[in-house]
Amino acid sequence: MSDLNLTVRGVTVAYANGHVALRDASFKLNPGTICALVGVNGSGKSTLFKAIMGFVRPMRGTVRIGGEPVRAAHKRNWVAYVPQSEDVDWAFPVSVWDVVLMGRYGYMNLLRMPRRHDKEIASRSLDRVQMLDFKDRQIGELSGGQKKRVFLARALAQKGRLMLLDEPFTGVDVKTEAAIIDLLRELRDEGHIVLVSTHDLGSVPEFCDECVIINRTVLAAGPTATTFTEANLTQAFGGALRNVRFDHTDTPGARANEFHVLTDDEGALVFDQDGRPARVHGRQPSDEGPR
Amino acid sequence: MIEHLLTPFHYEYMVKAILVSGFIGGVCALLSCFVTLKGWSLMGDALSHAVVPGVSISYLLGLPFALGAFVSGMLAALAMGFIKSRTRIREDATIGIVFTTFFAAGVLLISLYPSNISLKTIVFGNILGIANADIVQTLIISGITLVVLALKWKDLLLFAFDPNQARAIGLNTTLLHLTLLTLLAATAVAALQAVGACLVVAMLVTPGATAYLLTDRFGRMMVIASVMGVLTSVTGAYGSYFLNGSTGGCIVVLQAGIFLLALAFAPKHGIVASRIRARSSAAARSGPDAATTLVTEATR
Ligand SMILES: Nc1ncnc2c1ncn2[C@@H]1O[C@H](COP(=O)(O)OP(=O)(O)OP(=O)(O)O)[C@@H](O)[C@H]1O
Ligand SMILES: [Mg+2]
Repeated sequence: MSDLNLTVRGVTVAYANGHVALRDASFKLNPGTICALVGVNGSGKSTLFKAIMGFVRPMRGTVRIGGEPVRAAHKRNWVAYVPQSEDVDWAFPVSVWDVVLMGRYGYMNLLRMPRRHDKEIASRSLDRVQMLDFKDRQIGELSGGQKKRVFLARALAQKGRLMLLDEPFTGVDVKTEAAIIDLLRELRDEGHIVLVSTHDLGSVPEFCDECVIINRTVLAAGPTATTFTEANLTQAFGGALRNVRFDHTDTPGARANEFHVLTDDEGALVFDQDGRPARVHGRQPSDEGPR
Repeated sequence: MIEHLLTPFHYEYMVKAILVSGFIGGVCALLSCFVTLKGWSLMGDALSHAVVPGVSISYLLGLPFALGAFVSGMLAALAMGFIKSRTRIREDATIGIVFTTFFAAGVLLISLYPSNISLKTIVFGNILGIANADIVQTLIISGITLVVLALKWKDLLLFAFDPNQARAIGLNTTLLHLTLLTLLAATAVAALQAVGACLVVAMLVTPGATAYLLTDRFGRMMVIASVMGVLTSVTGAYGSYFLNGSTGGCIVVLQAGIFLLALAFAPKHGIVASRIRARSSAAARSGPDAATTLVTEATR
């Protein structure tokens, strides 16, 4: 159970209109990893998620979760998914509590009757995202960040060993982002695989152990330290990144003082003169986190 | 006076009509919760019209009417699915084309080969003259629907709310989709007897829509809708004796009346309530106790 891993091998996905969104994508993730998935808009991040979720069938290649095909892995509740723009009908007559319990359906009997155990897990999951006080709200009566956290709680309640989060930080304030990052770290420490797609490049070196850089195929995959480099990112993003070089010292000629700022419009990523990610966020999730 | 009010119960056909309508009304109302939330109202209308050729063929061949009706309803649903997936035509146009085609075929069949069923019966229903064999068929269909809904409502709810999550936890969404579609066709067939093809869609939408205005919890929505479905159907059938009017008409007018009441006076989603809320918060913003109102609003 604990050695559940994710293997994506040679995956090619074409949509009905003939557009090949992903070609020959391969990478592998081991348990206890947080992995960032980065790339420009339309690079195929959501498509890769859909392939792992089995929403689209790869034309070629395989996805294996713990050695099992996608469907089998889902039946065992190994995979939890937090969708990008939760294309959810927010006026639907369900409460926060109902939504989180839905994460437990896979464990319930055929009538989906929650046992005490399911309820305990659901309320603990809501507590972990600090949404327990909102449990009786109708889901439309929440802010954008709160809605995200509810869907995160549903994924937690599902106890998936592989968690897929499609842009969990979009439209979320710094405090919530820090709280989510803390949560992801805890999950990693519990041995889960967490795959997060994000445009917030600045936070990637901060909490991701590995990263997969894609642009219609996997350009680079591996440990953040060696993969998340200026050279790889520039190749992946091309002109889509703002690249600013700063040097505010008295000796503009000396490279030693130069910083490069790369941004994909969310968190900025700052490199030092050797192309290594530098921390400028000033955010320390451990101080600022909840609890 | 009491004697007078009890007269309908002296007639076996009235008692049958009242009981059968109540049962069908309740089952349709339960399903209407899913229909309104899934946005399948038009689909319900289409299916109820598309069953007509099946009914006329069954009567011509002496088969159970429900069988023919169901087959032709499902054929229509398949045709719509096929056109939708293979062409760029929008869904509403697809539905419009398919159901009128089926309905026209039915009308044509009945006019060409008159049998012991009239077009009027199919279109407007004839619960007062319902044959025992038809009652049995109707009860079987509604009964099966009821059982399936009782067992699977939570799965269907998740499917309606978030099909991706349903699939992610290993539910077979294609099967759930087909189940809901089949139930819709089946209840459309059952309700055909009570209110006729034209008014079936009212039974399959109005109670759900009304309940949706009254609550924010799906469980309660199903309770409210089915109570309303049973009560309006029973009262409608009963009242039609005194009015000497169409049973289907009575039932649907009653449902529409309750819907209008809910629309106006629903505690949270009603027009009056939102008006009052808007006015009081507008007044409070300028007044001294703005903070209190804001808090009330935040906690509501
Ligand atoms: N249903 C679809 N049918 C056809 N093409 C699609 C479909 N969904 C996505 N695509 C195309 O596939 C490519 C990859 O899309 P995808 O949604 O995976 O991008 P993404 O990396 O998630 O982008 P973003 O950062 O904007 O979320 C895009 O060019 C897109 O136009
Ligand atoms: Mg995307």
